[in-house]
Amino acid sequence: MTDAPTNTLPLAGIRVIDVATVIAGPYCATILGEFGAEVLKVEHPLGGDTCRNFGTPSGTGDSLVWISEGRNKKSVTLDLRRPEGVRLFKELVAQSDVVVENFRPGTLEKWGLGWEVLREVNPGLVMLRISGYGQNGPYKDRPGFARVAHAVGGLTYLAGMPKGTPVTAGSTTLGDYFTGLYGCVGVLLALRHKERTGRGQYIDAALYESVFRCTDELAPAYAMYGTVEERHGPHMKSGCPYGHFPTKDGKWVAIACTTDKLFARLAEAMGRPELASHSLYGEKKTRLENRQDVNEIVRDWCGSLPRDEILARCTANGAPVGPLNSIADIFGDRQFHARRNLVAIDDADRGETYIVPNVIPRLSKTPGRIAHLGPRLGQHTDEVLQDLLGLSDQELNELRTQRVI
Amino acid sequence: MPPIEEDPTGPVPSTPDPPRSADTPLPLSGLRVIDVGTFLAGPYAASILGEFGAEVLKVEYPIGGDPMRRFGTPTKRDDASLAWLSEARNRKSVTLDLRRPKGVELFTKLIAKSDVLVENFRPGTMESWGLGWDVLSQANPGLVMLRVSGYGQTGPYRRRTAFAHISHGFGGLSYLAGFPGETPVVPGIAPLGDYISSLYGVIGVLIALRHKEETGSGQVVDIGIYEAVFRQLDEMATVYGLFGKVREREGAGSFVAVPHGHFRTKDGHWVAIACTNDKMFERFAEAMGRPELASTSLYGEQRKRLAASKEVIAIVTEWAATLDCEALLELCIAKQVPVGKLNSIADIFADEHFKARGNLFEMEEEGLGQVVMPGVVPSLSETPGRITNLGPRLGNATYEVMRELLELTAAEITALRQQRII
Repeated sequence: MTDAPTNTLPLAGIRVIDVATVIAGPYCATILGEFGAEVLKVEHPLGGDTCRNFGTPSGTGDSLVWISEGRNKKSVTLDLRRPEGVRLFKELVAQSDVVVENFRPGTLEKWGLGWEVLREVNPGLVMLRISGYGQNGPYKDRPGFARVAHAVGGLTYLAGMPKGTPVTAGSTTLGDYFTGLYGCVGVLLALRHKERTGRGQYIDAALYESVFRCTDELAPAYAMYGTVEERHGPHMKSGCPYGHFPTKDGKWVAIACTTDKLFARLAEAMGRPELASHSLYGEKKTRLENRQDVNEIVRDWCGSLPRDEILARCTANGAPVGPLNSIADIFGDRQFHARRNLVAIDDADRGETYIVPNVIPRLSKTPGRIAHLGPRLGQHTDEVLQDLLGLSDQELNELRTQRVI
Repeated sequence: MPPIEEDPTGPVPSTPDPPRSADTPLPLSGLRVIDVGTFLAGPYAASILGEFGAEVLKVEYPIGGDPMRRFGTPTKRDDASLAWLSEARNRKSVTLDLRRPKGVELFTKLIAKSDVLVENFRPGTMESWGLGWDVLSQANPGLVMLRVSGYGQTGPYRRRTAFAHISHGFGGLSYLAGFPGETPVVPGIAPLGDYISSLYGVIGVLIALRHKEETGSGQVVDIGIYEAVFRQLDEMATVYGLFGKVREREGAGSFVAVPHGHFRTKDGHWVAIACTNDKMFERFAEAMGRPELASTSLYGEQRKRLAASKEVIAIVTEWAATLDCEALLELCIAKQVPVGKLNSIADIFADEHFKARGNLFEMEEEGLGQVVMPGVVPSLSETPGRITNLGPRLGNATYEVMRELLELTAAEITALRQQRII
């Protein structure tokens, strides 16, 4: 891009309280922080966000996913189950713009921190509420996890071999990330409304809804034709060849010929341009009718060459192909490096350098940033409670003795 | 992922706000978005902007328009597939041939009167038409330009052809879907990456609009579909970076917890069960009528369950096969075990919760009857989004836009039509 980036980030001056756990809500706060918001991570004094124990441990007490996704946040401990914690939380909310939470619906209300209370404390407040099933409806009280949300939202039913056991659609936390993204969209919209009218609002996001919203024509096709989409294994039904194929060296490539032109390019790359003739498989209709034969031909060709050779030939002909990258492939890939999708950040406190996914989206003038990785539990408690709420050393000591912080 | 330690029988949540009065402006009303993209990656960002009040002009090639009109399941209307009707919601269609100088000139004028441009051509394409960022930002210094492409605007692969299917593979998601050592499968939905990259697109646009409104200057939001996919993969990169451990396919399970997978019920349905911690497993053991399984000497600890995952999964598999789906769900839900049916779309249409949340939006479309589609997500209490119209007919707003926005005369518009520029 031609423009030089500026130093002021677009969300500078916005304060976000992230009282959510694991990934769904917190990821929304992560993005807001990447673009300049101050994010206060409010955690239970004992153990903090369960994300700190989720997945692979780092060897320094916190999980790797925490270290990566807790980026840019300040950790403040506060026990919301205690009246003194509730009082301090309200004081924080009064001085903030956004609250992000993902407790089971009713939990914050039980602690006296529901929407009605918080909007009174801060009429311009934007509150993101994420839960498995949303704040209303018959299932609202059920525990919801991304795996369950993938199932309920219709994604899992479609992942796997035809009639075989449905598999995880790649990653068990997808629905958490999707919902964090929708939540972030909601927060940015609500902030805009607030800045114009002074009025805050809450966003009610459900894990299963984020998943279901991404299901393409599934709903309209069922409503109009009664079509119940099933699992298609490695292949898509809307094109041919359109799927995953094994290569000679035991790797996999994805090929996506959605149009006749793209198939003609693939046929060229295969050194068999005649396959794209009218009398053979030049037309999509013919390819779909002879799906097995076409897939067989492509499979044979892929099986005869190592992956990189297939990629080179297809790329030279503009045929739509790509590798099924493992994380090892990704670390060696030029495009990932050229785009700086992986960034090594030194964590002086933990005495280790961690490689984490970089900020996206990429903005030309106001790119996001990672100032530091996930903080230690309570690392910023004193700083925040002193600077923001004006607490004295003595008050902090008392709160600490009582384990409120 | 909501936490699990809370008392599930807590008090009733807040009552929702009364519905917004019709005169509350939507957060994006007054904004004009030009969507010159095709299919979904990028255009879905414009859909969301439209749901929350922006005016979205879909600029299409005069002959045939966006190929998405003919992609997927067709309808009685030859210019509207089901995906088009649903995902091109809230737009007005304007035809314009950007390959012709007059088209470029009109497009530039349109940009001067708009706030956001969404495009997803192969990088370099708009530049080749004389519509690169340098030209457009001159026409409108406050412009926010969202550029979505397979590999992004930079880097060695930027000009390669890519679709979501390729990006799922390149971004590392497809490698993980399927059974260990077996064929990797499609991660459920073909255009998943299109949706994800569009969500990042909306976030980028909303952030850039803020900056523009503060400083007057616009910018480019540049997204590669593959990197949007890659960004979803929690600890994978960090674990490889630190320990060199390559994540592999895990079938229906998970490496972090057991049981955490899919199980077949007696009546041939499937359920997902996700016991992420010991307390949850204890409740699950009770639901199975076998509380002893959660004892410390057996499988009470996650560590032990992971070590004996085959045995644990076999026990659950056997138990699930003795019950009908509904009965199993009931037992688990009574014990607050995270469980859910693997819903087919037929199940979803019959589900009371989907109904209660209004997730299936219905709209009458002339000549087609009722069309059902996913409603607006996310749900905002004070300024909820809305769907005003389904995917429009090709060029339904060309005249209006040329006449009112670009102030062309009727004779000029006729001439443009004859030359097939519009």
